[in-house]
Amino acid sequence: MAEPVLQIPEGWDGRVPDGWEWRTLWDAVETGDHIYADSRVKESIAAEIHPKVILDDGLFPGFNLQGDRFTEQIIFIPEMLITARAMKAGLKLIRPLLAAMAVKPLGTFVMGTVLGDMHDIGQSIVSIMLENAGFNVINLGTDVHPDKFIEAARREQADLIGFSALLSTTVYYQKVTIEEFVKAGLRDKVKILIGGAPTTQEWADDCGADGWGKDAVVAVRLARELVGQPREAWA
Amino acid sequence: MKELLPRERFIRALRHEPVDRVPLLYRMKHEVKSKLARVYGIEDASTGRKHNPEIELRLGNDAIIYQIGINADFSHRPIKIGETWHNHFGVGYGKSGLKGRTEEEEVVFAKTQEYWGAAKVVPENFPSFHPIQTMEDLKNYQWPDPNDAEMLDPIDDICARYQKDYFIIVDLSSTLIEAAYAHIMGTQKFFLQLFDEPELVAGVLDGLTEYYTAVGKNAIARGVDMIRVGDDVGAQQSMMLSPVQWRELAKPRFKYMFQEFRKANDELFIKLHSCGDYSPIIPDEIELGVDLSGLMQPTGGNKDQAGIKKKYGNDIAFIGGFDVQNLLPRGQVEDIRNGVLAVMKNLAVGGGYIFSPSHYILADVPIQNIYTMLEAQRDFGVYGKYPLN
Repeated sequence: MAEPVLQIPEGWDGRVPDGWEWRTLWDAVETGDHIYADSRVKESIAAEIHPKVILDDGLFPGFNLQGDRFTEQIIFIPEMLITARAMKAGLKLIRPLLAAMAVKPLGTFVMGTVLGDMHDIGQSIVSIMLENAGFNVINLGTDVHPDKFIEAARREQADLIGFSALLSTTVYYQKVTIEEFVKAGLRDKVKILIGGAPTTQEWADDCGADGWGKDAVVAVRLARELVGQPREAWA
Repeated sequence: MKELLPRERFIRALRHEPVDRVPLLYRMKHEVKSKLARVYGIEDASTGRKHNPEIELRLGNDAIIYQIGINADFSHRPIKIGETWHNHFGVGYGKSGLKGRTEEEEVVFAKTQEYWGAAKVVPENFPSFHPIQTMEDLKNYQWPDPNDAEMLDPIDDICARYQKDYFIIVDLSSTLIEAAYAHIMGTQKFFLQLFDEPELVAGVLDGLTEYYTAVGKNAIARGVDMIRVGDDVGAQQSMMLSPVQWRELAKPRFKYMFQEFRKANDELFIKLHSCGDYSPIIPDEIELGVDLSGLMQPTGGNKDQAGIKKKYGNDIAFIGGFDVQNLLPRGQVEDIRNGVLAVMKNLAVGGGYIFSPSHYILADVPIQNIYTMLEAQRDFGVYGKYPLN
């Protein structure tokens, strides 16, 4: 694959006031300057730019560039983390505006690391990337008991659930938690993704998951696909 | 070839000289060790700093490892639910996975701990308190005592008892980057501080370098053959941080540490370990004069074992490479035999290799899989016989 380059959104200058520029925000997200990202998004809101435009034209280009570089192993976890933090700073300001305008999220995604496992970073990165992609993400954190997943799925009427596990000794709980969803009669209401270092496609098949997120980018792509597939409706 | 003493075998392999069979180094956590202890009728199945090597020697280990680094104790000791246990670095550790487990689940859990089969749900101990968060914390931080006799004295006993026959290793893991992120600062904090407050990260790494250099020199003075430095910088598909950043943060500090070690004993062997894919920095390890690189977890760039062996095998010895994430815990007998065969073909041909799983044998490994691995290693790990003829 060619070296990833910044994808400048087509026709962006037709969606902002005259003389407006996004370049500094693209750079800020790319280099992880969360303080500037916060202030520039505030300026954008004050300039009455549509929140969806701020997100798509202002925040995404720098984030997508770093996402591609992460996949290509040009950048690594530290760089991805600071970019995610800058993205989050902007998103925090925009999300309430989108909600007020009744812009519907792509779906609700309940995420967590399974019982027995305290690993956080992988699922945090995936959560941020899912939020960026337009999902409403409920992150339950680490060491999450199956009952907690079920409770959150019910409460949020979740579309998708994600189980992370980083140890070969804890992946078993991905299977156990899926079985608990079956027992609770909820298995057909949600799509379930699994991920984490020791997981494989074979394990995903074996434990009855709907998909395996090999990495964060694949997880987001899978979530987009799966959310469109038919499921039993929540009552 | 006549049968070599374990010690000779290990040293010759490190020097890429011919040996009778591939040397071995198995390590395991206490759940597995207690099961094996029952087989051999050995009562003391201690792991970690209190490690009793007798069981590993029964399995054929050619070396003895004494572990004294920051993570020497926390994962080997019982920590009660809700309790925080602090180690000699002031790092706090708690237990995962037990809060909220019902009585019924407790029964299911207990069953998974039975002798046969895998312990499927193992509560793990995790760092839960990281003592250095600010420059102020760093300034007030009391580094542990590198001359602690309680930590160092057992080296004398081990050397006196075993060194005639066996190769003696002192393990300083986690040593540098891993000690900083996983233990002293916390992972997310560490990675963000690389940008927000690089001088804090540098201060922690300098403190660790100084402490471990002193501990290592003390161990060398007591006559150990090898210092093992363990520093996890590999993730599943790639490195956690960029090789460029590793060369800035870790390489000069290891360079200093290893120079000091070799000043103390110029014949000392050095092992550098990382979990995950660390393939981009193998050339740097060679440059640093590392003798043994491992544990070659077969993920990411490390999957190409034959390629790595071909490229670097003359300049550095390798250890490990046998998959512990899927093959060892969940493989069937034939899978495991084929896995061992493949690793021997990829890494042992031509020497300069020590067989080991790519990490500790954990509680999720059924005992029959351990014996399958042992049997396969005996079948395929002898020089002059297939596949090493």
